[in-house]
Amino acid sequence: MLNYALNRVLTLVPTLLAASFLVFMFIHLIPGDPASILLGDTATPEEVAELSRELGLDEPLWTQYVLWLGNVLQGDLGTSVFFREPVLSVIADGAETSVLLATMTMFWIVVFGVPIGIISAIRHGSWVDQATSGGAMLFASVPTFWLGLYLILIFSVGLGWFPSSGFPSLADEGGASNLRYLVLPSLTLAAPNAALIIRLIRASMLDVSREDHVRTARAKGLHPVRVAIRHVFRNALIAVSAAFGFTFAALVSEAVVTETVFSLPGIGRLVVQSILRRDYPVIQGVILIIVVFYMAINLLVDLAYASLDPRVSLK
Amino acid sequence: MNFKIWLRSAIALGAVTTLVGTAFAAGTLRYATVGEPPSLDQHVVTSDLSTTIAHHIFEGLYTFDASNSPVGLLATGEAVSDDGKTITITLREGVKFHNGQDMTSADVVASLNRWGEFGSRGGLLFANVESVTSAGDHEVTIRLAEPFGPWKNLLAFINGGPAIYPASVADGAGKEPIAPDSYIGTGPYRFGEWEPNRHVELVRFAGYVSPDGEPDGYGGARVAEFDTLQFIPVPDVGTRVAGLKAGDYDYAESIPGDLYADLDADPSVVTILNGGPIFGLVFTNSKDGPLQENFGLRRAIQTALDKVPALHVAIGPEGLWRANGSFLPEGNVWFTDAGTEHYSMGDVNAARAMAEEAGYGGEPIKFMVSTNYPFHYDTAIVYTRQLAQAGFNIDLQVYDWATLIEKRAQPDQWDMFFTHHGFVPDPILISVMNDNYPGWWTTEEKNALKSKFTESSDPAERQAIWTEIQALIYQQVPTMKTGDVYTYNIASPDLDGLGEATLIWPHFWNVSR
Repeated sequence: MLNYALNRVLTLVPTLLAASFLVFMFIHLIPGDPASILLGDTATPEEVAELSRELGLDEPLWTQYVLWLGNVLQGDLGTSVFFREPVLSVIADGAETSVLLATMTMFWIVVFGVPIGIISAIRHGSWVDQATSGGAMLFASVPTFWLGLYLILIFSVGLGWFPSSGFPSLADEGGASNLRYLVLPSLTLAAPNAALIIRLIRASMLDVSREDHVRTARAKGLHPVRVAIRHVFRNALIAVSAAFGFTFAALVSEAVVTETVFSLPGIGRLVVQSILRRDYPVIQGVILIIVVFYMAINLLVDLAYASLDPRVSLK
Repeated sequence: MNFKIWLRSAIALGAVTTLVGTAFAAGTLRYATVGEPPSLDQHVVTSDLSTTIAHHIFEGLYTFDASNSPVGLLATGEAVSDDGKTITITLREGVKFHNGQDMTSADVVASLNRWGEFGSRGGLLFANVESVTSAGDHEVTIRLAEPFGPWKNLLAFINGGPAIYPASVADGAGKEPIAPDSYIGTGPYRFGEWEPNRHVELVRFAGYVSPDGEPDGYGGARVAEFDTLQFIPVPDVGTRVAGLKAGDYDYAESIPGDLYADLDADPSVVTILNGGPIFGLVFTNSKDGPLQENFGLRRAIQTALDKVPALHVAIGPEGLWRANGSFLPEGNVWFTDAGTEHYSMGDVNAARAMAEEAGYGGEPIKFMVSTNYPFHYDTAIVYTRQLAQAGFNIDLQVYDWATLIEKRAQPDQWDMFFTHHGFVPDPILISVMNDNYPGWWTTEEKNALKSKFTESSDPAERQAIWTEIQALIYQQVPTMKTGDVYTYNIASPDLDGLGEATLIWPHFWNVSR
């Protein structure tokens, strides 16, 4: 397994190079430049050119790319044009929010989605199944900005239970209790994703429950719950684990609407804002890290397959 | 069994997360901003959000009182020589920078020189400055090549203006905005921290030495009542409003006109109009394309436009806009109705005839607008429709703001573009007066009036010349004003000292809870 993992890590290198090259070139193809954004409406073309020179943006694209890549290989992602801070620390700041938000969202998905999925599979066709499937469809269809604003109106403005927006770092005053800032956004994100997991678990479990080994288990007289959890759910988990992995990755990098509604300093919003500001170093850095992150999740999902399913061997 | 474990964990987490209280310390003012400023370096950056934050940190030699007249801030007074070419400014003594150093003339000279060479608006004054020298620890002499009327207004306008930095910061700085660790000023708050996407935090400056006198606009005594000011980016307007009502923010900016009537009637919210209106501008291209030099065709376009319906659509309630053709608002010393009979005629038939007379044969007119500012786009849609009715072939090109800025620098890419302008205290600061601003209006008539305008130091004479310039703008149409827009902010009713309207940018000295 170790060899397999090492091999996979090595194949990341060309993919990363290609991704970094494409991102670099595409982002520089869009018209607009950070110098004019920084200087504002009254700046003359001469002033913009002067600042571009100071920022090193007047070099040919190839030179800029090679310089950037050289620095990346030494672990330096550059400095944000906008924040004047190392890109790595800007991203680390956003990553804290995004990873915590994604983790809390996954927690709700596991707490609500998995049991509901199992119950609706066990009782498929019953009114319980009808109700949960209908509910799941409803939550999968509700736009997150709408759900988010309603949760704010009810739980922040109305009841005052949770803060409406923002997220102070866990390292700031308040410590772990700052997690309460993430409750409403994580519930907002969990709703559509849990709905999908419920549908997926239900479908996979129904597939598995038609197989021979399940019939054998039932014939042996095992308790139906034991059959459902041990024999059906465990096997259904193989398909579901991939979905969990990619849901988590997407939650970290693509939660931009929820991050905007709740004003969270996460990765998704960082990318969108950086594109609008043409903060090239941050865009390049974030996308590079997201690519690495997706690849790592992909690898972990494959490794998880192997441990869940003894028939899968990794070579 | 597993279900029980899940259930238990859910209950445990629920218990943790309901440990909710109002978290922020008593002495913190939390301000929900629409985004993040590009930098707080006032010399080079002209973003209003940047100034809203930075004018608590940095101070200039002068500032504006409630009637928009310049008054001393770091300066106590000045003497101007009879020929108007030598200005000697006396500095307030005992003023400390946030790093503990005394502010002296060396800092002022270094700051003015950096602003003059690299600052956004520095060139306007420094094109005419021969030297800035120190004349003792607390006196600075500015020598001009020619008398220059607007010098004091330019020194008082902190946005893109001459904030006073320590010489150690200003000396090495170029066009690139200075880094946050160099944000050292003399203001009532000092820079604390900038956490990207989280907040910019300012902390009360214990060593602040305030000017004397009753508070009047930005002038007079300044007292920092809050321990800290936090400027928090909250991009979604629904969240800014909900957050303020929930008590998470004390102040929230840039609220859309549609919500004005409801919020104004809501006792849990105070609405505060921004006193200095912003105004939309449609620039025409003087360097290239069908509108170049063709003043007749430009006037035809101007004649076709009816500004009122566009203001209704783009801004909303009537209290928030005024169909005013004067570049500076009513009540201001620069208000004039010269030329404004052409401001909003909406005469489609006359426009069609004028266009024909000007030789227009239906060539496409490229009109660039950005969706980053909804009122730009909404207004442009209404104008495009009005112009089409008058027979103009408008090619509306919609971009994001960064793209528009790049394209408008290229004369062959556009014929008209939409932007907006903040309130400025002196017409010399209006972008159309700048020869290098895209549109590049540099006709002989303009140049002649502009030199007369800057050379005169007599307020009455300058007002008379401005009247002529505004009339010329309506004749040559380098730009078309859309109307005055009074943006508004909302605040918690617990805040004291805000006043009913802001002067230009909100300020939080002399404000308490």
